[in-house]
Amino acid sequence: MDWFTHWSIERRVLAGFGLVFAGIVVISAISYRNTAILIENSQLDSKSREIVQLLDSVGEALDATERGHRRYLVTGEVAYLKSYRMAVEQMPEYLRYLRGLTSEWPEQQSRVATLEQLIAQQLEAEAGAITRREKHGYEAVRHLALSGAAKNELERIHLVVTELDSAEQRALHARVAQSAGNTWNTIVLLGLGALLQLVLLASVYFLIHHDVAERRRVATELENRGELLQAANKELEAFSYSVSHDLRAPLRHIDGYASLLSKAAGETLNDKGRRYLQTISDSAKQMGQLIDDLLVFSRMGRQDMLRTTVNLDQLVKTVLHDLRLDLQGRTISWTMSPLPNVSGDPAMLRQVFVNLISNALKFTATRPEAKIEIGATRRNPVEVEIFVRDNGVGFDMQYVNKLFGVFQRLHRSDEFEGTGIGLANVRRIIHRHGGRTWAEGALDQGATFHFSLPLARSLK
Amino acid sequence: MTPINPILLGEDNPRDAELALAAMEEHHIADKVVVCHDGAEVLDYLYCRGAFATRQKGNPVVVFLDLKMPKVDGIEVLRTIKNDVNLKPIPVVMLTSSREERDLAQSYALGANAYVVKPVEFHQFITAVKELGVFWGVINEPPPDGSESAN
Repeated sequence: MDWFTHWSIERRVLAGFGLVFAGIVVISAISYRNTAILIENSQLDSKSREIVQLLDSVGEALDATERGHRRYLVTGEVAYLKSYRMAVEQMPEYLRYLRGLTSEWPEQQSRVATLEQLIAQQLEAEAGAITRREKHGYEAVRHLALSGAAKNELERIHLVVTELDSAEQRALHARVAQSAGNTWNTIVLLGLGALLQLVLLASVYFLIHHDVAERRRVATELENRGELLQAANKELEAFSYSVSHDLRAPLRHIDGYASLLSKAAGETLNDKGRRYLQTISDSAKQMGQLIDDLLVFSRMGRQDMLRTTVNLDQLVKTVLHDLRLDLQGRTISWTMSPLPNVSGDPAMLRQVFVNLISNALKFTATRPEAKIEIGATRRNPVEVEIFVRDNGVGFDMQYVNKLFGVFQRLHRSDEFEGTGIGLANVRRIIHRHGGRTWAEGALDQGATFHFSLPLARSLK
Repeated sequence: MTPINPILLGEDNPRDAELALAAMEEHHIADKVVVCHDGAEVLDYLYCRGAFATRQKGNPVVVFLDLKMPKVDGIEVLRTIKNDVNLKPIPVVMLTSSREERDLAQSYALGANAYVVKPVEFHQFITAVKELGVFWGVINEPPPDGSESAN
């Protein structure tokens, strides 16, 4: 039963109903066969009864013929030949009918053949006696008039008729017994079948009931967890709210008072002192930046998302326009392939391109000529893969899993500035769009960042 | 270019208040700034009650409000101002640390005239406060006196 427990509920229910159906088919087939036999037997029975009746008539007719012809032989009264004439006339018809009725049983047929022959002999003998009486008078047939012209034949005829009759009776009895047995079998089969179907249906019901109960339980649990999650989310929101408000105030004060101090007493300080003050300011600003980034990141996860058709070509154009200050004094060779329309939130997707393109610009800053390529490949009808490739400092593939983490950096901050939130935001935004992000690169040989997005429906 | 009526600053944090004043100092408008340390005090000033019962009549040219203040918070004060026929014309600038969309939306819904997020960087902060002070306190033409004392 191990395989059964591995089956899905649909498969199990289907198997149950399949068994019930197969059972119904088998029972129907057997019942049909039994009923057909019953009907056939009853047809045969009526045939047998007809045969028995016919044999009676034949026997009686022949008896009457014999009696009639003897009386004629004695009296010469022609009226006594009425039965004889009728027998001569009707016997072929009777026999043909009898042959038809017994056509399915060779044994009976051979008896009928014997009977036919005997009847012919009897009638012939009687015909001979009658002719002689006509021509030569009573004396010529006196000895026949007492015993009958075909006494022997008649006896044998009665014997054959009895044989035929008893054979038919035997067959009749056998069929009655068979029919009774069949009926009984059918009743037992139907009873057992019904019982089996009941058991099967009950188990299918149990399966479905069990599954429904389980589903209901899971739904309730999900609901509970959803409520918990909602509460947790609210708490998190309150937390980030207070972070955004309360944590920034002291930072503002540190930077503010450091500036005021430098203004008030800057001239009395030596270079070292001024540098210390500057460091205090810088650190406060950096922490402010970190907090801002973290808040943006957290907002990206909670913010309601729009779903519209976004023209990525247009989007990249505006991003490049916004980044034009970063492009000043740089030699950059751009390779842009046409990008498709996708379905998503324009502001969020803009953030993705801002982050990826700024990264590309940032990490190619040390190159005499930066090469940045933006393109798309369509692997299936519902999704597009977009990449941003640069020839910058790249990264070691062994750290590829750290790239998209929050505050994960693969370079020292004095090499390249940044808080390490950009790619984490990219990943979060793309995941919320139902896409994936991945990257490849090699140290000093550039990096390529890929992400997938669902295509806009109208342009599939 | 000195405003006749004062600038009202609702700010519970004395350091923020001091920094704001330092910023306005540069444009010599600091002496026209009245600092209130919570929302209740702001309302007292506007309605000439409590400590401000004897102040010279007239509305401030602009009210800067921090969102988070003890007793009565910035949103409450904003609501009161915008629901009062006499106070309604006063420009209200929300000056706060919060960048939360919820706060932004709520402030504008209640009729705030501007919403400014205090930058962490002092230089930016000073520029923001200075510009705000100069714009609302000097450049912007305040509503005519008639609307201040409609009744």
